[in-house]
Amino acid sequence: MDISLKVFRYNPEAGRTKPAYDTYLLNGVDPTDRILDLLEEVKDYHDGTLSFRRSCAHGVCGSDAMRINGVNRLACKALVQDLNSNSITVEPILGLKVIKDLIVDMKPFFDSYKSVMPFMINDDIPEDGKERLQSIADRERFDDTTKCILCAACTTSCPTFWSDDKYVGPAAIVNAHRFIFDTRDQAAEERLNILNDESGVFRCRTAFNCTEACPREIHVTQAVAEVKQAIVSGVIK
Amino acid sequence: MTTTVRKIKKQSNFEITSWKWMRYSAVALLPLVWIHVLIKDVIVGVHNIDTFYVRDIWAIWGWKVYDILLLAFTFAHGVNGLRNVSMDFFHSEKARKIVDWGLIVLWVLVSGIGALAIIAGARPEMLV
Ligand code: FES
Repeated sequence: MDISLKVFRYNPEAGRTKPAYDTYLLNGVDPTDRILDLLEEVKDYHDGTLSFRRSCAHGVCGSDAMRINGVNRLACKALVQDLNSNSITVEPILGLKVIKDLIVDMKPFFDSYKSVMPFMINDDIPEDGKERLQSIADRERFDDTTKCILCAACTTSCPTFWSDDKYVGPAAIVNAHRFIFDTRDQAAEERLNILNDESGVFRCRTAFNCTEACPREIHVTQAVAEVKQAIVSGVIK
Repeated sequence: MTTTVRKIKKQSNFEITSWKWMRYSAVALLPLVWIHVLIKDVIVGVHNIDTFYVRDIWAIWGWKVYDILLLAFTFAHGVNGLRNVSMDFFHSEKARKIVDWGLIVLWVLVSGIGALAIIAGARPEMLV
């Protein structure tokens, strides 16, 4: 099939100071090709200056989240046939500063991520000196939020984040959830304290964009709601 | 399979209170608004409401209290919603403080004037 691929371009260093779109006509595209394949084809055969992030190409590293026909997706997971259209528009994710073409500055995103202390905090020595044991149910409790690959698809689909980049955003909350609900961790109270301020969980208006955007199918809005509940009730269960 | 329940110190700050307020006031508004709509729009009918009707209704203290509560709750719920939306447009601490205070003053003023009017009651004879 033939595809018309419209790509957002911006490269102030090379004189392209005004954001614009370039359109490439690609022939012989297989419906099962991924959008990442199309971008690679453009970069290899049409315009070597096109820039985008990618690494694993298998939906694991989270580096190629972009807006594809208006929806946040991973370019390496979205197939041409999923889009039901011969014209495909690819743009950078919203709410973060564009550095070049499809590459955005992820620093504010990772700053929010770091702010919730996304690592296990437990200063006690494990009972047997080696392992911290946990029941199957307790491990299951936060399984969903362990799946995050930090691609930023959720945070950059959030209307609150678009209008206020101080909002910590769903990805940071998901990663806080992963430790708050882990019985082996001891810093739940601290994390909930970080998340209960003006730029924390209560800015979430349950738009559900994050849940729809997540390429890992994490129940993001539910995780945010559970964190809100834990703050309000003082009970983590 | 049950999970371990852990308790932490219950936290409290303005954001938590305002979030809870939105939920509780929404629940309170359900009966307040629906009873109001049922009586005024369905049972009495808006075309039958005139100053004489209002005078008679506000002669009863229970209805005065009801209407003041309805006004205060609805408006506070709305103003808090507005405060949340305003944060999308005002990002600095200072601007947010000014907006918050403006909204509080607006709420007190409108609720106050409304409550005064309700307590004073309607006097149709003065219109004639
Ligand atoms: S390239 Fe790694 S997730 Fe797409």
